[in-house]
Amino acid sequence: MGFWTYLGKRALFLIITLILATYMVVVIANQGGAIDQILITEIRIAVRQELEGEIFYQRLNATERTRVYEERVAELVHVRGLDQPFIAKSFRQTWDALTLNLGQATFTYGTGSFKLTTIIGERLPRTVLLFTTSTILSAAVGVWLGLRMARKALSAFDRGLTVLSITTLVIPSWVFGIFFILAFSFALRIFPSGGMVSAPAPREPVALFLDQLWHLSLPLLTVTFSTFGGWSYTTRNLVLQIMDEDFVNVARSKGLSEKRVLHRYVLRAASPPIVTGIVLAIVASWTGAIVTELVFSWPGLGLLFFEAILSADASTIIALTIIFAYLFVLTIFVLDLVYGFLDPRIRALGR
Amino acid sequence: MAAPIVGTRAAIREALRTKSGLFGFGMLGVIVGVVIIIPFIAPYDIVRAWGDVAAWTDNPRNAAPDWIDAFTDRKQSRNIILNWDDFSKGESNTSQDLKIIILQGRWEFKYATFPSDYRLQIRANWASSPIQVTVDWKRPDGESVRMFEGLVTRQAPSIDVLPLSADSQRNDPQARVRNWALSLGADDIDSVRDVKPHVTLFAEVGAGMLDPNRARVLPYITGRYSLTVTAIARNTTDTVDARFTSYGEVYGLAGTDHLGRDLFVGLIWGAPVALAFGTAAAGITVFSQVILGALGAYYGRRSDEIIQRAADFFIIIPVLPILILIGQLYEVTIVAILFIVVLFNIVGGTTKVVRSITLQVREELYVEAARSYGASRRRILFRYIIPRTMPYTFALLSLSVPSFIFLEASLSFLGLGDPVIPTWGAIMGDASRNGALYNGLWWWIALPASGIVFTTIAFAFLGYSFDKVLNPRLREE
Repeated sequence: MGFWTYLGKRALFLIITLILATYMVVVIANQGGAIDQILITEIRIAVRQELEGEIFYQRLNATERTRVYEERVAELVHVRGLDQPFIAKSFRQTWDALTLNLGQATFTYGTGSFKLTTIIGERLPRTVLLFTTSTILSAAVGVWLGLRMARKALSAFDRGLTVLSITTLVIPSWVFGIFFILAFSFALRIFPSGGMVSAPAPREPVALFLDQLWHLSLPLLTVTFSTFGGWSYTTRNLVLQIMDEDFVNVARSKGLSEKRVLHRYVLRAASPPIVTGIVLAIVASWTGAIVTELVFSWPGLGLLFFEAILSADASTIIALTIIFAYLFVLTIFVLDLVYGFLDPRIRALGR
Repeated sequence: MAAPIVGTRAAIREALRTKSGLFGFGMLGVIVGVVIIIPFIAPYDIVRAWGDVAAWTDNPRNAAPDWIDAFTDRKQSRNIILNWDDFSKGESNTSQDLKIIILQGRWEFKYATFPSDYRLQIRANWASSPIQVTVDWKRPDGESVRMFEGLVTRQAPSIDVLPLSADSQRNDPQARVRNWALSLGADDIDSVRDVKPHVTLFAEVGAGMLDPNRARVLPYITGRYSLTVTAIARNTTDTVDARFTSYGEVYGLAGTDHLGRDLFVGLIWGAPVALAFGTAAAGITVFSQVILGALGAYYGRRSDEIIQRAADFFIIIPVLPILILIGQLYEVTIVAILFIVVLFNIVGGTTKVVRSITLQVREELYVEAARSYGASRRRILFRYIIPRTMPYTFALLSLSVPSFIFLEASLSFLGLGDPVIPTWGAIMGDASRNGALYNGLWWWIALPASGIVFTTIAFAFLGYSFDKVLNPRLREE
């Protein structure tokens, strides 16, 4: 099995995953076709109300009435495409999703447009602002702390931070959000408890920017605090592990300074997994987080997803799912590609 | 290098040697202790009534826990209940075939803050016509107010709540309280709608007694408040009973929510639910992932390939959005949630790691030896290979419990969890939707959040200690 065969197999697998996942979400979001029945019932009610208001209908006898009514219902059901079997429809929706033909949402979600590209285009930057910023921040803080912890391994500093890291990393951001809102916005009244901007928003650009920064602070702090532990803990362990390797001991025994050993030998070996982790985390940050956005009333993609689910808006749910699915699958494929080139074991498959 | 740690008992023994392991097991012990005492302090009947709004009307709404007294330096009002039997009863017959029933309830009020509200219930049983009642409020300082004159319209067993407080519609108790206060020289306030009888009736006589911001609690005088219900009945068989509740500002160990539900009940019931859900989900999924990973690596190429691809698939699929979708469409019980979670984690990350461990271990000498003396493949797999993965399995098990607990909590927080059982996430969601975060009802949301944090941190410590067993470099030397 050569490298290219390996890559081809991975691509094939990812495409199958993508199709399966999309189809699964299409079926669930349409309630397995039950949504069509709900829509047909709505049409029946609307048609009956409309006909009973018309004079010609009132003059007809019972059998003719039924005939007219059924005809009108059948016509509308056909126009809306509800008479097609759900299987066919689900395949078409899956195909539309896979070709990124996102279409229209059922609601405007406050954007004034039903176009899903417009709606997502408005929500995505907000999610990026909060989650991508805090991902980068927490990775930077976490890796920096992890390096210091490794250098002072088993000191009080290291032990304290290790305990803090392992306890904060299991607790999700939204739980910290609750404590932080109670502490910083209810008790201390330093930060607002939610939203992106004050109402009414300041007119002046500088004031507006500062206002948004003020609103961003607490969620940013929360997400950073709840995620840095993962970075610091893994960095510390990784560095400690590498420091014990033979090539590092050789470097040390050559008389190189501890600082030089750390920078030239240890960090060079430790950085690929850390960088991979950061890349994956940044991509993941674009999906936002449903509960965290809800707690902070942050109108990003996570909240959009939740709103769409609550209002049974299948097209929005499917659109968001397919975008994230593509994003992940592409990232994973690119990482496979990079690893394939870097990892001699996989490269050697070709020979 | 030290010998590898093999088997369940060895893994736990090693973990207990570390400080974090002791800590984790200790915290877990506390939670299990709570679970054990639950049947004695809050049997399941109470939990079944959790969704029943009528079951909690004896409690104040949105009341803080009573231990906040320790921080506010004054004793805040507690619940006072005068039950049906606590009212003294006197009957007399008049010449015109009327029966007069006099009910009197008396209580002391020794608190530094006003009650949050009060309620008088009447249970009347009449033969021919409704019973005429008057209600008189008498205070320890000798002042008295007539609070109500009218008919009891409901027939027992249904219970009538007399309109005496600020939120009643039928009569106007606020006007009566205002007139009484004005006659004592109180400053008037703008609207009669703003009169708070539960404040003014317990306030010291003075100019500010109508204004909740200026009113001061009548200091405790030897003597009691009394409520006298005088009923005039048409028939000698008619009966009247009364029951009075003075709602406290604070209640119980964990306060109450917007429906008056005792949050302590919800709080302690959250422990077994979270513990059972988290350990069951983690136990089943980790077990199946370990077995499938080892099986795939040890047996075949075809099954290995299928298991690994399935694992890749489930690693990519996010469970929470799917759970939210399903939870929105169907009313899911906690068992259904568990089932879905398990379904999406039958294989996963652990499968892949266990596979690589198995591939390594099966080449080792002792496995070779076992094979050479003719041990069956199943014996080798279950007695020689899987025990080697135990420390790793335990670390993973402990670390995945929190993630499953929080998964259920997220779903419940969104209001899509089990509709009957009070879970920590569901209480936090209730609190959040009713503005607890912005109205300072911190106990409603912070206590269940603390419960969940305590439980998950216990497992985090356990996971860390197993991690230390695995990686001796992390050990405290």
